[in-house]
Amino acid sequence: MVTRFALLKELASIIPDDILIVASIGNNSGFWGQIKDRESNLLHVTMGMCSATALGLALALPDRRVIALDADGNLTLNLGVLGTVANESPKNLTIIVMDNGNYLGSHKDEPGMPTATGGKMNLEGVGRQCGIASSSTVQDVESFRDKVQSALSRPGPHLIDARIEALDSDRPARAKRIADPRQNKYQFANYIEKAAGVQIIGGGLGNFG
Amino acid sequence: MKPEKARLVLAGLKEAGVNFAAGVPDAQFIQVYRMVAADPDIRYVGTANEAEAAGVAMGAWFGGMRPALIIATSGLLVATYHLARINLLHEVPLLIVIPYRGDLGDPRWMGLYQKTTEPALKAMDIPYRVVTRSADIARTIKDCQESARAWLRCAAVLLTEEALW
Repeated sequence: MVTRFALLKELASIIPDDILIVASIGNNSGFWGQIKDRESNLLHVTMGMCSATALGLALALPDRRVIALDADGNLTLNLGVLGTVANESPKNLTIIVMDNGNYLGSHKDEPGMPTATGGKMNLEGVGRQCGIASSSTVQDVESFRDKVQSALSRPGPHLIDARIEALDSDRPARAKRIADPRQNKYQFANYIEKAAGVQIIGGGLGNFG
Repeated sequence: MKPEKARLVLAGLKEAGVNFAAGVPDAQFIQVYRMVAADPDIRYVGTANEAEAAGVAMGAWFGGMRPALIIATSGLLVATYHLARINLLHEVPLLIVIPYRGDLGDPRWMGLYQKTTEPALKAMDIPYRVVTRSADIARTIKDCQESARAWLRCAAVLLTEEALW
């Protein structure tokens, strides 16, 4: 089975710079921040909130492609979001689930407790039955690359369930500090303000409106 | 709930510049949800639960929208973890509008939420205003929105039975 690191390196090599990435907390944000440090990353989105946040971003910016870099434990905490995504049907949203089938396994020397996908749950089937017709499962780098490139070239929404090893047996070197949520907020918001010509941060203290 | 009271809430949202809303319908506030969902100037996203709605609203804010979270007092409890993260860690300003069932004067006994709503907001360090007069609805929504945007933090408006029904 493939590792998270191998798929994230592949993702970094194929996505255009203008793709907005919304990454879940933990090793998705930690690894991605090391591999592809860029202003268009929104990091550290907590359990149950990653795909929901990506959905809101995709609806607000319909001309920008958005990737949710989600995880199985994170997504299943608020699985109803897949139904919301299907009903809202944003053409510019792709959800990639780094599905290692367990909780906290990425932080340990041995796997943590299993998630539902570590048991009988099949996210591709869940996604399809929620109404996301473009739902798929990948288990190696080649099929991952094909599905991502296909998703970015066709109207979504798309769901890609990437089955990865339970443990992150390989990982990027810790070469830099990953921005904390507040620092990352300003970086990402300032980028969107410039790139999309919208006002986000507001007038600041003493400047209502 | 009388339609004219629902229109006051909608007017407040529009005066506050709200152009995106997310939430889960509360039966006692359904007229507001219907008006918001039908309004051409507001993109409404109905979610499966209020925590999901908080995430959707945060994403919309990062996309340049002015979002409101419209949730019940029970839904505030559902969304507490996400709102705590949004307010205390990311410091992203969400306007939260809540029909405040359970306060004194409410003909329904919903004492649970009288006990939980304000303490939950305080625990999350979310400033709030309790509105008891219809005449204050629109102004308070606008004030809370402007403060939220200026302070980069969430702000909540609690609309009591006296103001709404």
